[in-house]
Order: sequence, then C-alpha cells, then structure tokens
Amino acid sequence: MLAWNPSNLLPVLIDNIDTGIFVLDTEFNVVLWNRFMVSHSGKHSTDVIGHNIFDMFPELPKKWFEKKIQSVLLLKNFSFTSWEQRPWLFPFAHNRPITGGIDYMQQNCVLMPLENPSTQEIEFISVVIFDVTDTALYQKQLSEALNELEQTSITDGLTRIYNRRHLQASFNLEFSRANRHKFPLSMIMFDLDHFKKINDTYGHPGGDEVLREVAKRVKPLVRTEDVFGRYGGEEFCVLMPDTTLEGAIAVAERIRSVLQSVPVQFGNLHIAMSASLGVSTLTSEIRTHQELLQLADESLYDAKHNGRNCVSSRQMPVNSSPA
Amino acid sequence: MTKKILTSDQRDALQEVTNIAMGQAGASLAQVLGEFVQLSVPQINVIELEEINQALAMLVGATTVVSAVRQAFTGALRGEAVAIFDQEGCIELAELMGYEKELTPKAEQELMLDVANVLIGACIKGITKLLQTDITFSPPSVMAKNMPIGQLMHPSTMEWKLALVTEVNFALEKGRFTCHLTQFWPESSIVSLAEALDKFIESF
Repeated sequence: MLAWNPSNLLPVLIDNIDTGIFVLDTEFNVVLWNRFMVSHSGKHSTDVIGHNIFDMFPELPKKWFEKKIQSVLLLKNFSFTSWEQRPWLFPFAHNRPITGGIDYMQQNCVLMPLENPSTQEIEFISVVIFDVTDTALYQKQLSEALNELEQTSITDGLTRIYNRRHLQASFNLEFSRANRHKFPLSMIMFDLDHFKKINDTYGHPGGDEVLREVAKRVKPLVRTEDVFGRYGGEEFCVLMPDTTLEGAIAVAERIRSVLQSVPVQFGNLHIAMSASLGVSTLTSEIRTHQELLQLADESLYDAKHNGRNCVSSRQMPVNSSPA
Repeated sequence: MTKKILTSDQRDALQEVTNIAMGQAGASLAQVLGEFVQLSVPQINVIELEEINQALAMLVGATTVVSAVRQAFTGALRGEAVAIFDQEGCIELAELMGYEKELTPKAEQELMLDVANVLIGACIKGITKLLQTDITFSPPSVMAKNMPIGQLMHPSTMEWKLALVTEVNFALEKGRFTCHLTQFWPESSIVSLAEALDKFIESF
C-alpha cells in the first residue's frame, strides 16, 4: 500500500478537481481521463483509456482538432479555445438545468504539450476543460440587457415605433449614404389633422389611442429598410432610402388612405382621423439633411393649406430658383 | 533609437536571439500550414507610451485598417504580444488550419486567435528558450476588429511609460496573408531581459 504523503497527492488531486483533464498520446489515444470527464461524458476511464478519442467521441470536429493538436506537438506550445468563439468541445450537460437557457456546458480549453524531461520529446498532450457556463450566462444576460437598453433608447414609448432621436441619427446616416453612392432618398412627413380637437373631445387617452393606431396602420405600409418614427406630438416621419419622389408619393397616398379609411375604436366610441402629408426627395441642390427635412416640412404645410387629408410634394425650396 | 535601456551588446544579442527565434517560428508555421512563409528582418525599438500609436502606424502603414489579437506571457520574462492582421485577416488560412465549413464570424475570430497563438507561441518560446527561461501563456483574446491602426492602443488607460518592442512581418509566399507580430516588453521586465541577454552573451 502506498504511503499517504504529499508526493502521491497529485493523482488524487487531478482525479478530484472540478475541471476536466485528459491526456492523449501522439496517436490521439486517451491515456488519462479524470473523474470530471467520467461524470460529464458518462464514459468510464476504463472504457476510454487506450482508445482513440475520435472513435470514442465521433462528434468531435476531427480535422480541426487534429490540426490543433499537431500545432501543439510541432511548436511545443500551448493552444487554447474559448467559449466565445467555440461554445463547447464536448456536448456536456451543465449544472443549470433549470435556470440555464443554454444548450451545453460552455467550455474554455487549454491544450498543453507534456515534454518527456529525459528526451525532450513531446509524447503526450493534456487537455484541460474549464466549465465557464456561469460566465457565459452572465455575459448573455449583460448583452441582452444592453440590447434592450439600446432598443428602449431609440423607441417611442407610446407608439413603440422609432423616436425622434433615432430618426435624426438615421437622417444623418442615410443622407450621407445616399450622397456618397448617388442613391435616391425620399422622406414623408405627416401630421394628424385637428389633433387638438381629438384631445379636447376625447381626452388624452383618446388622443393616445389614435397615435398608437397610426403607428399600427402605417407600419405594414413601409419596408424594413425604411425608418418610420414619431417625430414629436402628432407628427410622424418615414425616411425612405432608395426611393424616388414618385415612389414616396405613392406610399404617402396609401398612408393617407389607410388613416382616414375607418374611425379609430376607442372603447365604445369611434374617432375619425385624417392626416396631411408632405413629401421631399434628395436633389443635387440639397446639401444637408436639414434641408431635406425642411423641404418635407414645407410640403406638409402646403398639404395643410390645400385643405388637409392630402399629399403634397416639393422638389425645390420656395426661396431657391431652379438651376 | 534604442534609448539607454539596453547596452549595445545586449541590443545586438537581442537582435540575434530574435532573428533566430523568428526564423524558427517561420519554419514552424510553414510546417503547421504546409506552405512557405516569408519574414522580414526583425526590428527592435524602444518606444514611449505617448508615441505608441504613431510607432505602430510606422511599422504597419498609417492608413491600414487592422484586426488584432493580444496574448500575455508570464514567467521570469513577462510581456504581451500583439499580432496585427490586415483587414482581410487570415480567412485565407482557414483551410490550412483545418476549418472545413464556411467561416462564420465566430469561426473567423477563432481562426485569428489560433493563428496568433501559433505565431506568438513560436516566437516567444524561441526567444525564451535561447535565453534559457521558462514562460507560460495565457489565452489570447481579440483586441480589435477592423479598426484604423491609429486607434489600436489607448495610451490614456495604460500604466507603463517605456517599452521595448520587437516587430517582424510574416507573409505567406502564396496569397495575401500577412501578419505583423509585435512583442511588448514592459519596463519592469526589461531588467530581467537584460540579465538573460548577458547570460546569453557569456555563453559564447
């Protein structure tokens, strides 16, 4: 019987440590398989030792793993894998079956060359597997929270469409993109007619319901690449990349039509609504995105003057003469 | 250019050691990839923290957009190595490194980490072996994706003042893959490096 002294603690330690450790020879045969590997793989060390790792675990990415081990052998150097790029090497169950929400135990792996001290040849490679599921979960929660925060910061609370802040960021972005590539870019600004009267008659909850209904009805009419948002109050905007003035006018007409088609249901009441719409498009005379916005605003003003519930458009500011 | 950090003998020795180590690294890389590898003559510079981004821009090319991987090594000699890849990165190496499927962004990152690990490991291991010290490596991590070279480092967040930087450029004979490998030896590590270099000089 072995004396129980520090010199033989190491094998016991390796077997009991809560980290996966196994060792391969240069032919990829398993020569050591610790208890962590046993309990997570369900394969006992006596079943695995002496066998080729790829025969025992055909799900391993053989070509890549062989290359990785070859580089360890050739360079006598460490090699690593990280859960962020490769979530797991072995499909092990993790210890968060209830609270997890992740498929398998997330793993960081270190491959180490084990040099024979007398020959200085690498005869074995050890692979150490760290369970980093908790880290991965925290990271996942963090990035979800950040995503949500980002969504909230660009969403209008009442209508759940984009807010003014995001519209302005998009103006900037789309304007420079359209200018650089000489793509068309058009814009629709629209404003609900006599909205103050709606608020006065039905109260603010009624007005809010109308604004929500506008968002709901217009959303299906815009494409995914369009940016539809609430500019403020009862004013909305659709920014339309790759769209000519004619295309934008057609969409504006559809928006006008769908808004006034049926009254908005508010409890037992029905609130009639309509909107005036102004359309502008990017031309060589327009130098900034503010000018494009200004032009859409002026067109909207025309629509109001032309009796509301209609679409107007301008290609050129009133105060500038045609080139 | 090498300020009074190393004696001229030490500097020559470091140049020699680096030349040998990089040569070995190139040969190892060629063996791993099964392709011929070309390398530049290693450059050794002492740089101050404030000039780090300009210094890198000089080495790599001022207008270059790069991706970079960093990896630390610890032991008697401590430091950090940074592998700087061109914008195309190392996609060309995917097949040579055993990637079979189409590269997802994650796999592309992993490939970059793998290639950096091989290069950094081979170089540093070569240097420390010649200097007869042992080191270990921590896992590499991505420090930049598609970033102008001038923004790679953030001097305001760094603690050191002076560092010894060795640089070599690896390229595959076929294809466009190229990687600038830099090693940063912080001031605190330079004393140990100088001692190790003295021992190396004496051994001749």
